[in-house]
Amino acid sequence: MMKQFKSQLRGSNRLKEGDKRRVIDETQRRRRHRKIMELLESDNYQDDPHADLVMSKKVPKFEDNLEQRTTRTKKKERTAEYYQTKFRKNFQQLVDEDRIEADIAGRVSYVDVAAEESNLPPRHFCAVCGFFGHYSCVACGMRYCSIKCMETHMDTRCLKWTA
Amino acid sequence: MSHMDSSLSDEDLDEGQSEVKRIRYDSKIYNVSRRFEKHQRPRRTRLASRDSHSFHVKESNLQGLIFDNGAHTIKINYSFEEEPKIIPNCIMKAKSERKRLFIGSQIDECRDCSGLFYLIPSERGYITKWDVQKPIWDFVLSKNVCPVNNYPVIMTQPLFNFKSIQDCIDEIFFEEYEVSSMFRLNPTDLAVLQYHKEIGAKPPCIIVDSGYSFTHVIPYLEGKKYLKGVRRINVGGKLLTNHLKDIISYRQYHVMEETFVINQVKEDTCYVSQDFKSDLKAAELPPSKNHIIRNYVLPDFNNIRRGYIQDRDQKDEIAENCQILRLNNERFTVPEILFHPSDIGIKSIGIAEAVCKSIFSCPLSFQKDLAKNIVCIGGSTKFDGFRDRLFNEVRSMIPASWEVNVYQPSDPITYNWMGGKVLLKDPEFKSKLVTKQEYEECGMSAIQEKFNQWSIIDIEETVQSKPKIEPVSYIDHLKKYDVFGKGIVSEESSENNEKKNENPEESRKCEEEIDVSSKNDGEEKLNLTDDDKFKLP
Repeated sequence: MMKQFKSQLRGSNRLKEGDKRRVIDETQRRRRHRKIMELLESDNYQDDPHADLVMSKKVPKFEDNLEQRTTRTKKKERTAEYYQTKFRKNFQQLVDEDRIEADIAGRVSYVDVAAEESNLPPRHFCAVCGFFGHYSCVACGMRYCSIKCMETHMDTRCLKWTA
Repeated sequence: MSHMDSSLSDEDLDEGQSEVKRIRYDSKIYNVSRRFEKHQRPRRTRLASRDSHSFHVKESNLQGLIFDNGAHTIKINYSFEEEPKIIPNCIMKAKSERKRLFIGSQIDECRDCSGLFYLIPSERGYITKWDVQKPIWDFVLSKNVCPVNNYPVIMTQPLFNFKSIQDCIDEIFFEEYEVSSMFRLNPTDLAVLQYHKEIGAKPPCIIVDSGYSFTHVIPYLEGKKYLKGVRRINVGGKLLTNHLKDIISYRQYHVMEETFVINQVKEDTCYVSQDFKSDLKAAELPPSKNHIIRNYVLPDFNNIRRGYIQDRDQKDEIAENCQILRLNNERFTVPEILFHPSDIGIKSIGIAEAVCKSIFSCPLSFQKDLAKNIVCIGGSTKFDGFRDRLFNEVRSMIPASWEVNVYQPSDPITYNWMGGKVLLKDPEFKSKLVTKQEYEECGMSAIQEKFNQWSIIDIEETVQSKPKIEPVSYIDHLKKYDVFGKGIVSEESSENNEKKNENPEESRKCEEEIDVSSKNDGEEKLNLTDDDKFKLP
């Protein structure tokens, strides 16, 4: 009696987990990749350390630590905010605008000179240790090279990846 | 470089004075520049002046402020100085010193550079955050650093700089800083000038500019950009640093917030592998046999201000209580992204492939010379082994009878700035400068045309590479013959059939027409398929 009970309790780990394991589909994998790419282009990972700082009037601002230029006489000095509001466009807007303009003028634009895809086959690297990774994770498609790395991957990034 | 600086002879000086009389509007510039010549005179040597004259017969003695506005660092100084000042193009916030912003080189005053927060004015190399850029420029052009002082300004902008960005630059420089005259161009334009000066000839060349935001490969034919051959790879120093940060954070310490430190780690330890596969194999070996592995002592900003590679054999006492970063395959897999962006899933060709594609998209007559003159500039080309790797890869993709030559200047970061000096010596340059008066009279778009168009060349290729092959339908061809032994096809029907096969749509039209005009004649033939045609009497 006792023995039977034990085996029932233990069951097969692989089968148990198999039900829980979610396989990420192609679109989601692509979204994940895009997130990684965005992270690689980001300026900072952390939040602004001064964000919670309440700026008192004593705090020096940009303009204060610079002496006034003597050349500028009549007009009032424009603040940096003036330019930010006047030329407020993000990068994507600029690219789109330029592309339309270039299409009309028939000139080469920013988008046109982007390098094409390579003819060479892509190489795959283990996401954990960085050596060649010959196997890919069933769930998320990341590469790994050995059982050891697979386990690390499963415990850390697989399905838990958040940018 | 030194001989170019001190090359102004008395003859030049006289000519400068006469030019003051001819062209009134920039008299101020000339007064100022003459003053500096007097100051420089004792340094002149006979040898130097003779040297420079052999290259340029007539040189302008115009002086100016050269302002290379990179996305990572600004390289700025007057043309009569030897070296530019390199100033970070960002505002930084430190954890340790709240209530203070560090603008540009003020960061040197910061004691604890851990966890720096960056405000960077550009996005993918193009200025979008003016509320960040403006204070930096204010700082750079302030009295203590490099005031404009009525000098003409040579400013750089990235290729295909967007119109509204140019509008803003113009407005800020002419109206805010009140520069008397200005010229804006791509940094690579300056690099070409410098290259041509150094080799004393003007061959077509390819500039590989690998900077902070992206890598450009730009062919220059007759000293001008050939836009059809330009390639841009969206891999630059920023991406490499962020990638290194990411993998170190996953494998060792959490350093996601330490961009400043990890950038130094990258500069100190990373190199471009000459044989990637064997290096990767060597990195797998245990530490005692591994020649790639390095221990890097991270700065603690207390005893150690800047990290360094630990000497393997000597015992390091300072670093005993410090954090040590172990770098193995990271050392070369990170710069490898420049050559294989697909390694991290970027669908793009690498630098070497881009160079070859660029060469082959240029007119045939220039291709050989382009392969002979490849110049790498920009901070990301400073990795050890970059030049050799690029040479080897390009060599393997170019016809064996062509000569390949990759040139890397001793300082690829300030190379563009040096080119600014050459531009100022060009006697024709003065006419290209846009004055404040012109800005006010002509408006922005007119002067932008002047800035953007001067260095573009468009050559229509005269030699056609391959005659286009028309798609041939073999059935059309076979129809003329009695292939299947069913008798010769009558002339009239064969004509109709040929028309049918030319184009499916056209033949359909044809069908309709015939359908309307002659029912008796048409019906039999038109409902036939290709195979059936041959059954016709």
